Order: sequence, then structure tokens, then C-alpha cells
Amino acid sequence: MNELGSRVSRILEGNLIFVSLLAIVVFFSLISESFLALTTLSTLLNQLPALTVVSIGMTLVLISGGIDLSVGSVVALSAGVIGAGIAILGLPLPLAACLGILTGALVGLANGGLGAYLRLPIFIVTLGMLEVSRGLAYLVTDSQTVYIGATIQSFALPWAGSGVSASILVALTLVVVFELLLKKTIFGRQIVAVGSNESAAEVSGIDPRRVRCTVLVLSGLLAGLGGLMNAAYLGSADPNAGIGLELSAIAAAVIGGTSLMGGRGSVVGAFVGVLIVSVLQIGLAQIGITEPTKRVITGAVIILAVILDRWRVA
Amino acid sequence: MTRDTRERLRFVANGICKSFATPVLHDVDLEVSVGDIHGLVGENGAGKSTLAKIIVGLETADSGSLYLDGQPYRPINTADSLRAGTAICAQELSLVDDLSIAENILLNTTASPWTRIRRKCAEERASSLLSLVGLEHSTPRTLVGRLSLAEKQLVEIAKALATEAKLLILDEPTSALTVPQAEVVHGILRDKVCGGITVIYISHRLGDVLNVCDRVSVLRDGEVQLTEDCDKLSEKALIREMAGVDADFDAPPRPTVKSAPLHLTVSGLRTSKLPNPISFNCKRGEILGVAGLAGSGRTELLNAIFGLDKRIGGSIKIHTESGTTEPRNPWQSIKSGIGLVTEDRTKDGIFRAQALAFNVTIAGLGRISDRSGRLIRRKEVGAVARLIEALRVRSTGAYQKMRELSGGNQQKSMLARWLHCESQLLLLDEPTRGVDVTAKLAIHTELVRLRDSGITVIAVSSELEELQSLCDRIIVLSNRNLVAEFHRSNWNQREILAAAFSEYDRVYEPSSAS
Repeated sequence: MNELGSRVSRILEGNLIFVSLLAIVVFFSLISESFLALTTLSTLLNQLPALTVVSIGMTLVLISGGIDLSVGSVVALSAGVIGAGIAILGLPLPLAACLGILTGALVGLANGGLGAYLRLPIFIVTLGMLEVSRGLAYLVTDSQTVYIGATIQSFALPWAGSGVSASILVALTLVVVFELLLKKTIFGRQIVAVGSNESAAEVSGIDPRRVRCTVLVLSGLLAGLGGLMNAAYLGSADPNAGIGLELSAIAAAVIGGTSLMGGRGSVVGAFVGVLIVSVLQIGLAQIGITEPTKRVITGAVIILAVILDRWRVA
Repeated sequence: MTRDTRERLRFVANGICKSFATPVLHDVDLEVSVGDIHGLVGENGAGKSTLAKIIVGLETADSGSLYLDGQPYRPINTADSLRAGTAICAQELSLVDDLSIAENILLNTTASPWTRIRRKCAEERASSLLSLVGLEHSTPRTLVGRLSLAEKQLVEIAKALATEAKLLILDEPTSALTVPQAEVVHGILRDKVCGGITVIYISHRLGDVLNVCDRVSVLRDGEVQLTEDCDKLSEKALIREMAGVDADFDAPPRPTVKSAPLHLTVSGLRTSKLPNPISFNCKRGEILGVAGLAGSGRTELLNAIFGLDKRIGGSIKIHTESGTTEPRNPWQSIKSGIGLVTEDRTKDGIFRAQALAFNVTIAGLGRISDRSGRLIRRKEVGAVARLIEALRVRSTGAYQKMRELSGGNQQKSMLARWLHCESQLLLLDEPTRGVDVTAKLAIHTELVRLRDSGITVIAVSSELEELQSLCDRIIVLSNRNLVAEFHRSNWNQREILAAAFSEYDRVYEPSSAS
């Protein structure tokens, strides 16, 4: 009996975030009758793709020992490029979408070049790039929301009957792909090595600058994709999109067990982090909690996650 | 040392017990007289450092009592112990890289944090301490981050001396120092005890302990095995007490290197840190020692060969059966069959937070993956298990966290990293620094075995005895120049030391001990 107890507790510890997510879901479904309805689930899922893909990139950057504060603005910039491309230049959607994602990758390349190769502090570089990208987003959209229309929305609208959109399917696939990249490939090992001990990684034949730069480009690229998903969800390009998204992504990654010091983390964990924050938001709204209180609770949950994580690792 | 000062006890520990997950100290009694240098020896994990930390309040004992000058003494932190008059020069250096030498020395103070800093006064004091420990060429304003490991260790000692504590604990104070630098430190200690200060001296260098200490206590598995006057002891006796077995310290007999093909040619090598061209060769299956004072360019030479420092002149050629390569960066070096074990394991050797398997395979991930770069766990487990077995790395398995391993086992796993890559040329910077006697012997045995299997080793060490027992040939660096070469048949310590000093201005008088 005792042995069973210790085994249960070990399993609970190992999957703490999944257990927490489950607990939150059970809690809200007990309190609010409408919570477990299918509509809640589909609303939730369809809000998530942008934050999910941005969190994937953020997780990789954090594990490599860096940080990327520019992602929120890059979402808006990418959306702006797509919107302007379609509405003003009359480009076909696929071409505009590629341009938007490419723009994100270019911002990532700038971050990587300045931060990894010129060795400027990455926090400051990406903070600067947060302003630059936001400014560029206003410039390409002329500071107005650019209406794109129904063509792009088909990407984000749930398919009839299934409640699942192409957008969320892409996001989920990327979660799996990047988790495998991180845990099962040489490149994933190199990311962890650089974040864990940069000098030791160099002695082991890894070029830390290349690894750091690559994850920043990936993060920019994923933020660019986030811009496409955001524009698809809204049916328009909003230059104010994604404000504060970098903080939500960091929060999701940290709740999912990623260390801000680098060297540890998981993409699936970050996705569960995204779910925890989102479920909390919707659940609290449904039981009639006001926006300010919601923010207080969400903040407390982030801190609680770090405390639990520290206790688990120690 | 007079008899009557012997009678007075500065420090007494009575029945000290301490457990973390497992018992570390068990019922430890220790008496240290005023004006003594009291040695504390034992293998890694015997409890020396834990005892030291308890004395200065970095840890608290589970039970037992401490007395300082006859008064009960129970420090709760280092500030508390400083006020009581004890200071430690810790094994893990406690310096702040971003502060100057003077500021670091100033940190160890009992003054209120709001005291105004008088820069000039602090720098003068630092300056006099620096010249005392033999760092007269460094200015007090130098940032500590720019110093070499040996220089940092000397600053750490200066910092401890600055406290003017009456009980000074030195935990491995000379581990990164060369023999003459250690002699300077020992001279200072002898001066200090004449002034009535008491020293507890922890070291793996048994010769030093017997040389410098008045009395010595041996710890084994958290218990004091023996406390005795040093003049009644020998190294052999200490090792017997420490290990519980008679360890063989004599250099193993060695067949001379046959006419083997060249493996490495270094010609006219220059980097920003090695301004003078350096040329030498190394034959396949040879153990080449690099001797020299700390800061003489030994570490820089290994880093240059490995491609960590960019070279600005000369060439490095690796000769193998399949041809000659000229690696220019670590990645190419590894491909050419070179492996580097760095001096400071925690700084640029191991990944502490990662698993043993991660640490062993990180430089050769291609060997445990398929063509597309996907890692194959079965291959990883197999490779790591084989290396753990071959090198006798003590661990609970391939996935134990590196930080939970002892120093000696971490060091062995650094070797395993390059054996995994099937490296043919191993560059080892202080391969046995901070590991205990048994682990050291195990590493030596392993290196000789590797040599016999055709692997070439270039080893840097501050311990001449280590190089002499290990190497086929020794080259000597002095002030960033290659000044001499000795063969196994015709070397002696005195000539090697003289060569090591030849390019410095000051004249070195070999001490009577050597």
C-alpha cells in the first residue's frame, strides 16, 4: 500500500503540469455547468494557435540560454505585411503569407546576428527589435487595421462539424515536430548543451553562435507564422496585435518547466502551459470573475508554477 | 614553536555529526593549538570540506559543539564567524569576476555595509597583500575576471589574509598553483603562525602537508582516523590511513617509446596569448608532459592546438594513416581526432545539470544517431554503458545527473567523452586536479593503458611528480616561450624547475626541499 502511494506520488511529480491542467479543468467543470461544453473547447482551441507557435519558438530560445522579446511585435509586423500585400498590392494569399513568415525570419536573423555573432546582450537586442518591429507594423499598415477578408479566414475557421481549424492542426503538428527536434535530434542536444554550459559546448565542438542564431531565426519564423494565424483569426491585419504576447509565451514556457537560465525545458510542456493559462482565462470568465481579478490570479499561477518546479527539481 | 603555546587550544570540535542524505561527519573530535598549522587530509568525500564549512558557519552541525579560545562557538553564517575571528579560503573560489582585486578583498569585512569605501586606502592595502602572495605584477584595479585560475587562487588567499582572523582555514589553497607559488604561500603561513595565528590546512598534496604542517588529522568516511605530529609521519602512512590500503606511489616501469610515426607537428605557432612562436613534435603513442609555472602559457598552448584560440601564425598538422589535416577550430579538431579536457571542469568541461550520458556523448553525437541526425537511444545507452564499465565511473547509471557524481568520476567521464569520439590525441589540462588519491591513480593507470593502445597524450600539470611518473618526454614553457625538452631517461626536477623560471626576470633559488 505504501509502495503504491509512493509510486503514485512519483507519477504525479513527473507529470505535474498535466495533473495541474486536469485539476483546473475538473474544478471549472464542477463549478460551471457550461464549461465542459463542446463550444468552450472549440472556442478555446481556435484562440490558441498564434500563442502556441510563438511559445514553441520562445521555449527553444530560452533553453539555448537566450530570450526573444520581439515576438509579439513580429506577430503584428507579419500580419501587417500579409494584409498590405493582399489588400494594397493585390498579391495572392499564399505569396503574401510566405512574405509575412519570411519577414519574421528576417527579424530573427537580425536578432541572431546582433546577439549571437556581435555578442550584444540578447535581452537588449530583442527589446530594441520589439520597438522596431512594432513601428514597422504601423508603417506597413498606415497605423490602421487592414481588412483582408474571407479568403484568409478559412485557415482559422473550424471545419464544419469537426470544430477544428487548419490553424490549430498546424500548431499541434509543430508542437510534436519541435518536441521531437528538441529531444531526439543532434540539433536539440546542441541547443540544450549551449544553454547548459556555453564554454563546455564550444570545447565539445559545437559552435554556440550558430546554435543561438538558428533558434532566434526559428523563433522569428514561428512568430511570423503566428502573424498569419492572427490575421486569419481576425480576417484582418491589426497593427496592435500581439501586444504583450512575448510575456504570455515566456509564462507558458516557464509553467511548462522551461528554465530561464537555459539548459532545460520542453515544447510539449510549453503547450500545456498555454492550455493552463487559456483554460484559466475562460473558466474564470465563465464563473463571472472580472478582468482585473483574472490578471491577479493568472500572475499568481505563474509564480506558483515556478515554486512547484523548483520543489520538483530539488 | 614553544611548548607552552602548544598547551593552549585555539579551536576544539567535540563530537561533530552532520548528515545530508547520508552521514558525512560522524562524531568528529578535533583540537587545534594556538600557533599551529594543522593539516586535514582525506579522500574526496571524507568530510574535510564539510567540517571546514561548519567551522565558518556555511553549514551547521547536526550535533556536537565547537569552542574557540575556550568559549562555546556556534556561527550561523560567515559574517558571524568573521566577527568571532575565523576566516576561510574556500576550495570553490568565492571571488566576484566583475569586481576589481581590491574590491574583492574588501568584501571580506566585518564593517557595516554603509561604511564609505576609501578607494585609495583599499587599493594600498590590496597592493601590499598582492606583493605578499607573489602577485606584485597585478594592480589592485585589475578585474578578477581577467585573472588566470592560479592568480585567482592567490587573490582568494590574499582575501582570507586580509581578514586578520585568528583561525584561518585554507581548503586546497594550492590546487591550481605551481610548486614555487605554493612555496610562497607556505612561507606566508609560517610567518603568520609566528604571529600567533592558527591555520587549518586542507590539501591533497601530502608532501606539502607534511612539509608545512605541525600536526595532521586524517579523515576517512567522516571519522578522524588519526591525529599525529607531522615529523612522526610519512606520505605512505598518511595514504594508508586515508585509503585504508597501501597505495603504490612509485612510477610504473615503462618501456621507452619505439620509433613511432609522427602524430602532431606544431611549427611556429602563435596566438594573441602566445606571442612567441612555438614549435614541437609529438610521436604516436607518446605521453608528452608540458611543465611550466601557472600563467606560463601551458593552458593557452593546449587551447591553441585545439583551435579554441585563433592562431595568427604557424601551423598545426595532424598526421594519420589517411593523410595530414590542419584543424582550425574545435569542430575540425575533433574530426581530426583531438580531444581536450580543460583545466576548470565546472567552467568549461562538464554540463552539471545534464545526465552522465549527455556529458559523455555530446562531442560525438554523430556516433549515436542515424544519417538524418536522429538520436538512437539504444546506441546511446550501449556506448555509455561500455565507457562507464571501461573507466569504472561510479554512478547509478547512464542517466544520473552529472552534478551528483564525485570530482574523480566527473573527471573520468571527461575522458570518456573523448574515448567515445575515438580521439587519437588527448590534450589534458591538469587531468587530476581536485580528485582524490585513488581516483588519481586510476586515471594515471588509464592514461598509460591508452598510450599503450596507441593513443597520444599531451598533459599539463603543476605537479612535477605527476609529470615525471606519467610522461615519456617533458617540454617546459617559461613566460610563454618553449625553453627546454627533457626525456624520461635524463631529467631531474631541479633542471626542469630552473628551465621553467629561465624566462622570468627574477632569479629562482631552488628550495632546499627539492
